[in-house]
Amino acid sequence: MKKIFNWKIFFLLMLIAVAIFRPYAFFYGLQRGSLYSLVALPLALILGIVGLLNLAHGDFLTLGMYMGYVIFNQFHFDPIVSMIFIGPFLFLIGFAVYKSTIERVLKSHHLNLLLITFGISITFVELVNVFWTSRPRNIYVPYAARSVNILGISVGAYEFLYVIAAILILLAIMFILKKTRFGQAAFAVGQNPKGAAIVGINVKLVYTITFSLATAMTAVSAALMMPRVSIFPTVGGPFTMKSFCLTAMAGLGNLPGILISGITLGVVEAIVQSIPGYSGWSDLVFFGVLILVIAIRAYRRAER
Amino acid sequence: MRKVLLIIGILVFITFLPIFVDMYLIHVASSIMLFMCLALSWDMMLRTGQLSFGTAGFFGLGAYAAVIAVDDFAITPIMSIFIGAVFAAIVALGVGIAVLKLREMYFAITTLALTSVFLVLARNLSDLTGGAAGKVLFNAIFDGDPKKTYWLIMVFTLLVIGISEIFQRTRIRYAISSIRNDELVAKSSGINIFKYLLFVFIVTSAIQGAAGAIYAQQYAFVEPESTFSANFLLLPIAMALVGGIHSTLGPIVGAIILGFASEYLKLLMPYGHLIIYGIIIILVIIFLRKGVYGTIVDKIRSN
Repeated sequence: MKKIFNWKIFFLLMLIAVAIFRPYAFFYGLQRGSLYSLVALPLALILGIVGLLNLAHGDFLTLGMYMGYVIFNQFHFDPIVSMIFIGPFLFLIGFAVYKSTIERVLKSHHLNLLLITFGISITFVELVNVFWTSRPRNIYVPYAARSVNILGISVGAYEFLYVIAAILILLAIMFILKKTRFGQAAFAVGQNPKGAAIVGINVKLVYTITFSLATAMTAVSAALMMPRVSIFPTVGGPFTMKSFCLTAMAGLGNLPGILISGITLGVVEAIVQSIPGYSGWSDLVFFGVLILVIAIRAYRRAER
Repeated sequence: MRKVLLIIGILVFITFLPIFVDMYLIHVASSIMLFMCLALSWDMMLRTGQLSFGTAGFFGLGAYAAVIAVDDFAITPIMSIFIGAVFAAIVALGVGIAVLKLREMYFAITTLALTSVFLVLARNLSDLTGGAAGKVLFNAIFDGDPKKTYWLIMVFTLLVIGISEIFQRTRIRYAISSIRNDELVAKSSGINIFKYLLFVFIVTSAIQGAAGAIYAQQYAFVEPESTFSANFLLLPIAMALVGGIHSTLGPIVGAIILGFASEYLKLLMPYGHLIIYGIIIILVIIFLRKGVYGTIVDKIRSN
C-alpha cells in the first residue's frame, strides 16, 4: 500500500505554520530542540551499536558540567574552551564505568543491563550531591546573555550555537560511521555482532570505544549549556528521558531523524510554554509523545 | 511442623513488638514493612519478566488519592487507604491496556516516564493537589497513634505476603513464569498473556497505591517531589535484588537487611546514603545474581 500520510512533510508544514503565527515559539523551540538532539545523539549511538539503553546518560552530562564549573572557577577558562578538557575527562569516566560494570553484564538479560545503568545513575547523582551539595551553581559569561532581533522579535543569540553544534555533531557522527574504518566496523557490529566477530572485528573493543566516545561527546552539550543553566545534581536527569524519547520517535539508527524530531518536540514544548497559565504543563509534551510513539510502534509490531 | 511453629513464633513476636520497644524502633519497623510491601510488589511484576519503574508513581498516586479523599470528600482515613488502592488499580488498568503490549526496555522506560507524568500532574493541578507546596492531611489515621499504625501496616504486609504466596503457589505462577521464560511457548500453550500481565500489573499497582496511602496517613503530608521520590522506587528494587528476586522470602530478607542498614546509614551519613544503594544495586547485579536468599537456597540444595 502506498503511504498516504508522510510524517516528514507533516512536520515541515507544522514548523512553517508555527514560524508564521508564533515566531517566538519557533525560534525558542528550534534552539531547545537542537539542544535536546545534541544530547540525544550519543545516547542513540550507544543504543544503536552497543544495544544498551544508558539510563545514566544525563548524569554523564551533569558530571561534565560540574567539571566545567570547576575549570571555570579555578582557571577561569571560557566554558566553550573547557570542552577540550571535559571531553577527555568524560571519555575516561565512560571507559572506567563501561569496563568496571557494564561489560560484565553485557551478555546477561536486558533487564540487568537497564538496572545496572540505573544504579550507576543514582550513584553519580548522589556522589555529585555529596561533593558539591544540591545548591545550584551558575556561570556568568557576558556574551551568553546577548540577544538578537529577528523580524522584530528578540531571541537569545547564544542559543543558536546549539543549532550549529547539533548539525556539526550529526555530520561528524555520520562521517565517522560511513568513512572511517572504525566507523564501518562499529556499523557492522551494530547490525550483527556475531557476524562482525566472524569477519574478524574485535567486538569488545568496538563496544568499549563506542561507549567511551559517545560519553565524551556529551562534553559538547555540557560545555555549551553551562552559561545558560543552573548546575545542580539532577540537572541532566530529564535529558535522559528526553533523549530516549527522541530516539524512540526517530527510530533506531535514524540519526538525522533525531534532529527533526528534536526540533519538532522543542517547538511543541515552546508553544505549550507560551500559553499563559499552562507553562508548567510543557513537561508533559515529551512524556506524552514518548508513551504515544512507543505504543503506536508496539501496535504496529503486534499487527504484523 | 517446625516451619509452622516458626511462622507462628514470628507472628507473635511482630504482633507484640510495639508493646515492648520504644517509639523509634516502632517507626523503623513500620517503615521497613512498608518498603517490604513495595519490594514484594515490584518483584511480583518482575516475575512476569516485565521490569517496572512505576513503583514510585503508583505509590505517590495512592498517597495523593488518600489525602484528597480525606480532605476534600470527608472520607474516613481507613477507607481512604482502599480509595488509594482502588484509584491506583483503575489508573493501572488504563495504563496497562496502553503499555502492556510493550516488552522489556520499552515497558521499563514508559513506566519510568509515567512517574514523571504523575509528578507534573500533581504539581500543576493546584486546586486539587495543592501544587508544588503540597497538601496537609487534616484527619490522620488513629489520630497519629504510632502503635495502631504499626499494627495496620503489619496486617497490610501480611496481606501482601499472602498475595505474593498465592502468586507463587497457584496456577498463576506457571502462567507468569512461562511468560517470563518463553513468551512464544506460553502463547502456543493457550495462555492469554495480556490478560495475566494486566492482572499482575493491576494487583501490584493497587498494593503500591495502598502503601502510598498508608504512608500519607502516617506522615499526614504529601508533596510532589518527596511523594514521587525515586526513593520509593530504588530502595524496593535494591531490597528485592539483595534478598533475591522471583521469590517471596527474597524481598522480605532483603527488606530486613537493607532496612536496618539504611537506618544506620542515615545516622552515619545524612546526605548521600543513596550512593550505597546505587553501589549495592550495581554490585549485586555483577556478583550476586541470585541475592542473599537465592544464594543460600542454592547452597542448601547443592549440599
